[in-house]
Amino acid sequence: MTAALALEGVTAGYNPGDPVLRSITLRLERGEMVGILGPNGAGKTTLFRLLTGLMQPIHGEVRIFGEPCRDLTAKRRAQLIGVAPQSIDGPIPFSVHELVAMSRSVWRAHPWQPSHTVRDHRAVERALALTDMSDLRHRPLDALSGGEKQRAIVAMAITREPPLLLLDEATSHLDMNHRLEIMQIVERLNREEGVTVLMISHDINLSADFCHRLLLLDHGALVADGTPSEVLRPELLQAVYHCDIAVSRDPQRGVITVNPARRLPTLPPETGARCHVIGGGGSAGELLRRLTLSGYRVSCGVLNRGDSDEVTATALDVDTVIEKPFSPVSAAAMESVRRMAQDCRLCIIPEVPFGTGNTANLRIAEDVCRRGGRVFIMEGIEHCDYTPDGEAKRRIQSLLDSGAKTWKHTATLLQQLAESDSQVETP
Amino acid sequence: MTVRRSTCFFAILAGLIPVVFALCLLTGSAGIPDLGTVTGHAILRMRLYRTLAALVVGSGLAASGTVLQALLRNPLAEPYVLGISSGGALGAATAILMGLGMVSVFAVPIAAFVGATLTLTLVYLLAGEQGIPSVHQLILSGVIVGAVVSSVLMFLISIAPTRGIHNIMWWMLGDLTVTSRPLLWAAMALTGTGLIVTWTLSQSFNAMTLGRDMAHHLGVRTGRTLLLGLAMATLMAAAAVSLAGIIGFVGLVVPHTVRRIIGPDHRRLIPGAALSGGLFLALCDTAARTIMAPRELPVGVMTALLGGPFFLAVLRRNRERGPLT
Repeated sequence: MTAALALEGVTAGYNPGDPVLRSITLRLERGEMVGILGPNGAGKTTLFRLLTGLMQPIHGEVRIFGEPCRDLTAKRRAQLIGVAPQSIDGPIPFSVHELVAMSRSVWRAHPWQPSHTVRDHRAVERALALTDMSDLRHRPLDALSGGEKQRAIVAMAITREPPLLLLDEATSHLDMNHRLEIMQIVERLNREEGVTVLMISHDINLSADFCHRLLLLDHGALVADGTPSEVLRPELLQAVYHCDIAVSRDPQRGVITVNPARRLPTLPPETGARCHVIGGGGSAGELLRRLTLSGYRVSCGVLNRGDSDEVTATALDVDTVIEKPFSPVSAAAMESVRRMAQDCRLCIIPEVPFGTGNTANLRIAEDVCRRGGRVFIMEGIEHCDYTPDGEAKRRIQSLLDSGAKTWKHTATLLQQLAESDSQVETP
Repeated sequence: MTVRRSTCFFAILAGLIPVVFALCLLTGSAGIPDLGTVTGHAILRMRLYRTLAALVVGSGLAASGTVLQALLRNPLAEPYVLGISSGGALGAATAILMGLGMVSVFAVPIAAFVGATLTLTLVYLLAGEQGIPSVHQLILSGVIVGAVVSSVLMFLISIAPTRGIHNIMWWMLGDLTVTSRPLLWAAMALTGTGLIVTWTLSQSFNAMTLGRDMAHHLGVRTGRTLLLGLAMATLMAAAAVSLAGIIGFVGLVVPHTVRRIIGPDHRRLIPGAALSGGLFLALCDTAARTIMAPRELPVGVMTALLGGPFFLAVLRRNRERGPLT
């Protein structure tokens, strides 16, 4: 049997030189219920536009029930695919009933065929009843709330009785109850009438709950394809979403729940823990941003003017000492940084490229270490030593020997900080 | 509910047709014509042509406005928004100033028609750099091209001799006097074609109000609908411009009013607006001919005087509710 949906090496995007989707091959069998996940900008919307024929691939082919999407007539495509976008609006307030009946009209052979056939009427009424919109049938489009609009959209999609249903964030504005209801309708159509469903949603838990198969999209490529338990692995999600994610399974109910661990463990504002970052060469920007968001009082230095770290630090009001562009750290600048960080008991070193000019900055880390504070050094920093005599590497090694810890990702570093904070407090 | 309301509406319009005809034929600066005399016959025939012209122009402008409001998804759209009027006026003014009006009665109308269609083609091409233009680009380039064309028109007027200015002004104010019968039949045929084609597209127009993407999902060939709809709206507006000059407000006000009475479904709205537009313009013209008889007011003044306040009321309502309610 032909697949409901088949993508064969599809590359697509707005700019052929820099496509959004890169050679995607994918097959959806009839009767599957599949969810597409992925962070913003992963290519979900492009995929959706591709499947609905709003966009043609640069390379490759999209087939819908065996027919190349390119060759489908507009009407045939609308008969095969029921599409539920996130929202609709228009300057002319059609009523809910008119909208749903309008959607049903794709089955009419010509525009003048009467719209009141028994079958049409039943399909429209059923869609309205299933989506709980019967009572709102005379409500004009502009008087509907976001959630009511979404229910009207779903009613429009299912009244056509399409064999393939595409939902693009179709439940994002719905309350808990209606979200579940809509998903149950879709599930029922899938189970009882064999409708193939493909849904894009940011609600991972909802997708995991209702879909039999999940696709994970990142940077325009499929990075995972499988059952919810195969795809929803913490390390995979962490790599794709760039945040710490906790996946819990409830074996009794067979439910998988995915929660972002509070991305930035924030400190109570009054503590205002000090933290010094040795930045430079654009290495510290993200770290400064995260630390500031987490509530640390951050200082950074010595930075050279024009460095992107300097730009970030200034924008975030981080205390810094700034040296002229491309100049070595002067003794005076060093002295003011030391004064700035004199009561600081936490120092973080990101992947700073060290040369003869800026190794002086390591003094702060050594000071903190001597005071019994904590020092965190990014893994792999030994590859960033450009001093002729390996001075930076030597000094970092001695820091590590005197108890400095290493870190890998910003997200995990914040976790480490939070843990060692509590250790510091408990004794 | 809407169906019953629109049945009533169409019944009333049908009943109005003979009434409007009677009014138009029997009133005017010469009073009720005496059918026993040759002059009376001539007057009656002139009034009949004039009424037919009003029906053609009014229905064409109203249908054109309806289509443009749907396609451009803009409650302020009207036949002249895309520069059609200024293009037509520029064409006509050029012909008048070149003295072509003396050569043939067709010269000025044809020049107006060519000016209007050329302007829209230019607007369309400028709006769509690659492929089919977006609605916003269309409106923007229509406004800009319209402004440029208007300034060229002002330039022509500034250098025109007095007699030419009078002709141009009279033409820009709109005049339903039929100078040649073949012109009336031609405009009628063009408007009829436009009405039939847009009516068959009415389902697609319904979907297009929800935006290009949604219309696409509903099985509409959006590019074709946009192009064909714009072409037909221009055809009707250009036919109206070449027959009667520029008559404002019909294309803006009539669709809004009719939509409020019989609902937004274009299958009913297009014929409803066309019929009401024709009757409205015929009544306006009769009023323009009789109010200050024996002086005749330009019909454009009448429609604007009636349409202006109405339009402000619609705007006020729009502020309180959504647009196009």
